[in-house]
Amino acid sequence: MPDMPKSPDPKRFEVSRATLWFDRFMGWLIRFGGIAVIVAVFGIFYFVGKEVIPLFRSAQVEAAGEVASGSAPAVLGVDEWGEMPFFYDGADKLVFVDMQSGERREETIAGLTDLKVTAHSYDAVHHRVALGLDDGRVGSFLVAYERKFDDGRDPRVEPSVTPEPWFTLKHGTGPVTAVSYGDSGAGRAIVAKRGNGDDSTVSVLRLGMKRGLIGKGKLSLLEEADITGELGSEAMMVRASQNGAMVLVASASGGIHYFLADSGGVSKRQTFAPFGSMAPKQMDFLFGGVSLVLTDREGQQEQWSLFRPSEDGERLFGKTKEFPPLAKGPVTFAASQRNRSFLTGSGRELSIRHSTSGAVRWEGAVDIDPAAATLDAKGEHFVIAAADGAARRYAIHDPHPEAGWRAFFGKVWYEGGAGPVYQWQSTGGSDDFEPKYSMVPLIFGSLKGTLYALMFSIPVALLAAVFSAAFLPLSVKRIVKPVMEIMSSLPSVVLGFLAGLWLAPILVTRVPSVMVMVVIVPLAAILLGYAWCRLPIGFRNRFAGGSEWLIVLPFLALAGWAGWSLGPVLESWFFIYKDPASGREIADFRLWWPQATGIPFEQRNSLVLGFMMGFAVIPVIFTIAEDALSNVPKSLTAAAAALGANRWQVVWTVMLPVAASGIFSALMIGFGRAVGETMIMVMATGNTPITEWNLFSGMRTLSANIAVELPEAPVGSTHYRALFLGAVVLFAMTFVMNTIAELLRQRLRERNKLV
Amino acid sequence: MPATLPESRPDFIRVENFSFHYGEKQAIFDIDMAIPEHRVTALIGPSGCGKSTLLRNMNRMNDLIEGVRHEGDIRLNGISLYDPSVEVISLRKRVGMVFQKYNPFAKSIYENVVFSLRVAGRSRKSELDETVERSLKAAALWDEVKDRLHDSAFGLSGGQQQRLCIARAIANQPEILLMDEPCAALDPLATLKIEELITKLSDDYTIVIVTHNMEQATRCSDRTAFLYMGRLIEYGDTLQVFNKPSHPETEAYITGRFS
Repeated sequence: MPDMPKSPDPKRFEVSRATLWFDRFMGWLIRFGGIAVIVAVFGIFYFVGKEVIPLFRSAQVEAAGEVASGSAPAVLGVDEWGEMPFFYDGADKLVFVDMQSGERREETIAGLTDLKVTAHSYDAVHHRVALGLDDGRVGSFLVAYERKFDDGRDPRVEPSVTPEPWFTLKHGTGPVTAVSYGDSGAGRAIVAKRGNGDDSTVSVLRLGMKRGLIGKGKLSLLEEADITGELGSEAMMVRASQNGAMVLVASASGGIHYFLADSGGVSKRQTFAPFGSMAPKQMDFLFGGVSLVLTDREGQQEQWSLFRPSEDGERLFGKTKEFPPLAKGPVTFAASQRNRSFLTGSGRELSIRHSTSGAVRWEGAVDIDPAAATLDAKGEHFVIAAADGAARRYAIHDPHPEAGWRAFFGKVWYEGGAGPVYQWQSTGGSDDFEPKYSMVPLIFGSLKGTLYALMFSIPVALLAAVFSAAFLPLSVKRIVKPVMEIMSSLPSVVLGFLAGLWLAPILVTRVPSVMVMVVIVPLAAILLGYAWCRLPIGFRNRFAGGSEWLIVLPFLALAGWAGWSLGPVLESWFFIYKDPASGREIADFRLWWPQATGIPFEQRNSLVLGFMMGFAVIPVIFTIAEDALSNVPKSLTAAAAALGANRWQVVWTVMLPVAASGIFSALMIGFGRAVGETMIMVMATGNTPITEWNLFSGMRTLSANIAVELPEAPVGSTHYRALFLGAVVLFAMTFVMNTIAELLRQRLRERNKLV
Repeated sequence: MPATLPESRPDFIRVENFSFHYGEKQAIFDIDMAIPEHRVTALIGPSGCGKSTLLRNMNRMNDLIEGVRHEGDIRLNGISLYDPSVEVISLRKRVGMVFQKYNPFAKSIYENVVFSLRVAGRSRKSELDETVERSLKAAALWDEVKDRLHDSAFGLSGGQQQRLCIARAIANQPEILLMDEPCAALDPLATLKIEELITKLSDDYTIVIVTHNMEQATRCSDRTAFLYMGRLIEYGDTLQVFNKPSHPETEAYITGRFS
């Protein structure tokens, strides 16, 4: 029917399949993107949390086998892997028991069979059992463990025993009643008590190793010193430090006498009485050999450490910590050979404690009365044995004993320190270094760096934004704004490099110049403004439309130059350093500042940082604030202008209130940039974790700390996790600040809302 | 015209061979006109004819725009606006302005009115109070807001906000009041109120008003100028321009053949 009017296409209301498909696809893509962002953020939280949370876990201890040796444990020792403890009965018998199979292996120490052992002690680090005999001889034997890998089978621990030479004490009479052995490799010391009661004597033997060209050297006696006269009353306990350089003797009258045994002989350094007239019940060195743990009869437990009470005095013992008291009863003690943890307890109640934080890491009860206890070298097991030879092994899981709230955020009295301090020093030169993980100096550093950066950036950036938004002709603004935006894209490593290697060496000699400029340039600007107002209106009208800056600029440059050159003059007037040695007077601010104020002057200081961070922060604040000011509706600025307000009044009364929330955002983003900035901080601040506001010293920020130390922190170590904790603290700081700022901003915006 | 009209200098504002350019684009071509004192003069014409531009030149608001230039002159009571010795800020104090869209500041009603006094550094309480009452009464707003002078200006209705802007503009008692389509954003009832107000204000002020609304021009103006494509086509007494236009373009425009 060709004549019929063509009916409309019935499909005209349908949407094309491609359109629908595309719409659906984009819908899902956007949903996926949104969810991916949320997942990514939570993924970061999860990862960081996973690294940080273990720091705040206490130690886990669980039973890991029990054996019976059938032999009284006068000395209990264990190998590095906690697999084969040995029980020395105090005579000539040594029993090794395999924890896995319970297999028992008895060895008789050949040389001891005919001798009468009257005293013994054990040094777990060297596996050395020190002995004293009834005839006044002292000696020792070493227990060595070797791990044997037989074909295809599990590794097997193979023990062996090596006797060491005997030395006869010249002083005193009677049997040896107490002995302790120290060994530094090159020199050794034995401290031994002979006899009992008032007639007893205490001697220190210094031994030297004469090294031949080939093979092992010969151990020889260098000196035997009788220290009985120095004690005042009967010695109750003798201890040689692990390296043999210190000897401690606890006497019946409660005094503990500290002797130094070195090439100069044996000399007394100090007597201290931690528990008044009561002799301690337990006295042992901790890992590192600088701290003592002492327990009295009442169960009070204290730590005494060596430190310098005065600037250039010698190191003496002082009480640094008190631990939670133990119950009354027999005291168990075993120090870790890996860190500053120790196992202690009274009766069946045992605990693992850590000396740095003073924290109790674990507390629990055991089912035998421990007569002896020991920790393996890895710190993964401890073994206790009852008087009847029944032994228990426990596995310890405590990867971060030195961590905890107190260690990160509290004041801690570290070994060698003169008092409790906040300190960050994560690594040291030796294995027995006590790590210091206080976040406080880093938080302080971050705040200090941010403060000085913002102190410089905020005034400059805001004034620049106002000038650009309200005063500058559009043609100039069109150039200035993109240039500022380019400035913000300068890599901070370049800025840090410039700060550290170019600006710092210049500023270090020019501090007085900076001081003069800070005063003279704003002053010049104000005077210039005043002078400008005095000029005839006809002249001023020629520069209408904001081009006055062309005139102002050379004058400001001149003022800047004048300030720069006047600096040395000011220096020669006021900053005179008097050399205490020669009495000469030198005009040098660098030398004058520490002399006048007592605080240091460093080349890489907060002043340098403030200037360079300005380059990173000013463009951020400027750009956002300028946008906020420029976006104030023209109708309002025009209304104000039409009512006879001058440009500054338009800014002050109309633009600033309306743009306030935007400007506030600008400041917060600037703050965020400053607090998180890393490279400039790393390169320009010297990275010393100190806590002082001094403008002429540096700082270490949380972010710089992570950048500097993460590469050297073993994955999963306390140090590694502490760095992540620093990141969490940084996040928490910015989160709290931003939340407060956002709330304030909302209020500001509410107050100045436009219809 | 009623005989009670106040004294009037016939060329209180003189526009003399005035041309104006926005960069390359010329907006006003050689306009020459005299605006009498204490009268309402309406500028009418289709969009883009240059009437707002002319108005905004009378207090040099166009200075705020980049890349403008002018030829000719505008004289206010005999003194050129462009004389090098003229301070723009004091000029704007003599010439008040009311904008198309009411634009009170984010401040209280009171502070909006006294803004021009505050920026002039006058802050005696009694003077401010007096000014607020006088200006709001003159703008026929006093009775509606006298109990909430310290509330935000944004709480007022659109018509009230525009009357507040008028009160703000006359607070400093300028000689001239420029109005750029003051009723464009208002409903008819509010428009009526503003028109009554304009008539009343002409006793004290010389008013120049730009409007798109023919009836408004007839209702409240004494003189009417018709601008078209940047040129002044016709200028005369309002009744004469509307009843007996002498130019065909004027007639076409007022009868609604183009706009």
